[in-house]
Amino acid sequence: MRKLACLAFGLFLLMSESSLFSFLPIELTKPDIGVPFIIYGTFFLSPAEGLVAAVVFGFFQEILSSGPHGALLFTNVGLLLSCLFLKSRLFIESRYTFSLVCAASVLVESLIFLALSLLSKGETRNFHNVMVFSIPVAIVTGFISLFMFKFFEHFKIRYLGRV
Amino acid sequence: MVKGTFVIITAIFFLAISFFLFTDITVFQAGYGKTKFYLAGGVGIVLKVLKTPVRSLDYFFENYVNLIDVKRRNEELKKRVGEMELENQKIPELEKENQRLRGLLQLVEQQPNQLIAARIVGEDVMNWFKCILIDKGRYAGIKERMPVITPSGIVGQAVEVDSWHTKVMVINDTNSAVDVYVAGKNTRGIVEGTGQTVLKLKYVLKNDDIEVGDKLVTSGKDAIFPKGLAVGIVINVDKYKAGLFADVDVMPFNNFKKLDEVLVVKKS
Repeated sequence: MRKLACLAFGLFLLMSESSLFSFLPIELTKPDIGVPFIIYGTFFLSPAEGLVAAVVFGFFQEILSSGPHGALLFTNVGLLLSCLFLKSRLFIESRYTFSLVCAASVLVESLIFLALSLLSKGETRNFHNVMVFSIPVAIVTGFISLFMFKFFEHFKIRYLGRV
Repeated sequence: MVKGTFVIITAIFFLAISFFLFTDITVFQAGYGKTKFYLAGGVGIVLKVLKTPVRSLDYFFENYVNLIDVKRRNEELKKRVGEMELENQKIPELEKENQRLRGLLQLVEQQPNQLIAARIVGEDVMNWFKCILIDKGRYAGIKERMPVITPSGIVGQAVEVDSWHTKVMVINDTNSAVDVYVAGKNTRGIVEGTGQTVLKLKYVLKNDDIEVGDKLVTSGKDAIFPKGLAVGIVINVDKYKAGLFADVDVMPFNNFKKLDEVLVVKKS
């Protein structure tokens, strides 16, 4: 139930980002709200919960974006698979490491999207646009992840075996 | 371990599905489009509810936070001007809104059955793409590929329409292209979005007649935008770069971050 509440809160944040905060000049630094949920789900809960977060956020981001069908779902699930691969190799012990991993994940997501555009359609026109936004978005997402981590810990949903 | 493998297989399944969606395979597009259509209806309602306090917040920011110094000064002058000063503060904002709405009304009155007025309820959550969400959808008569404009110029085109809401791809999206010509001249080209504020005018030959300050209008040859709508103004022309074509930067007439209302042009 708590996990569902967390997920619902995440979706609320996503919708707020689209409507409630649209009057703020945050175009360059619009955080990727889905990333902390996917990372926390994969590293601190179970892979299944990470998958749910990746699919749900990917799907809702597509609803709230004019990106091509499947693009954001692909990047989110691609990020999840990268996290599953790294789960036994990377240890997140504090909110600062969590924040760093989230920031790096934003960059990985951008690279996955560019690779998808290039390999499936041969498109390179997004390259400059995606690169311009990647680093500011990574920094802001990393910063927001610090608070998100506190929020997740507050809900005490972490599986103790991982600690 | 078995559960972990199952998750990986499911994730790969979703990855494959999204890849097929991305590559526009019709079988997948139909089912996915329908799911999105129904879910977007629910999301649209939430956006509309969330947007309501934004208007009050906008008013608050414009009339209080940004004018905190003015407010302090006003406090000093309060004894002298009393309530009149507070009333006067509201007038410019109301006048601005009045002017904007009058512009929209004028356009609607000119073509009453061809334009649908709509309010903006949201924007793209990813900054890789540029779209806005408006509060009118299929029930108001909006269909895909209908042009969206303001009295200042074009905004974009409807790309996804659900019952009550529409997703509009703005002309500065990297996937957007508009056929235009230079007003008063024979020069034609394609205005493409860059993902940033400034647009690029492509396929203009170096010996074509174009200079800084020229206004661009739609040519009507892309079968989406009617002929003669304002697009933007040329702010830079570089004819010295390598290749056949000149490098032309265009500033759109609309500030897409500051839009409140738009008009959708109905097509028969």
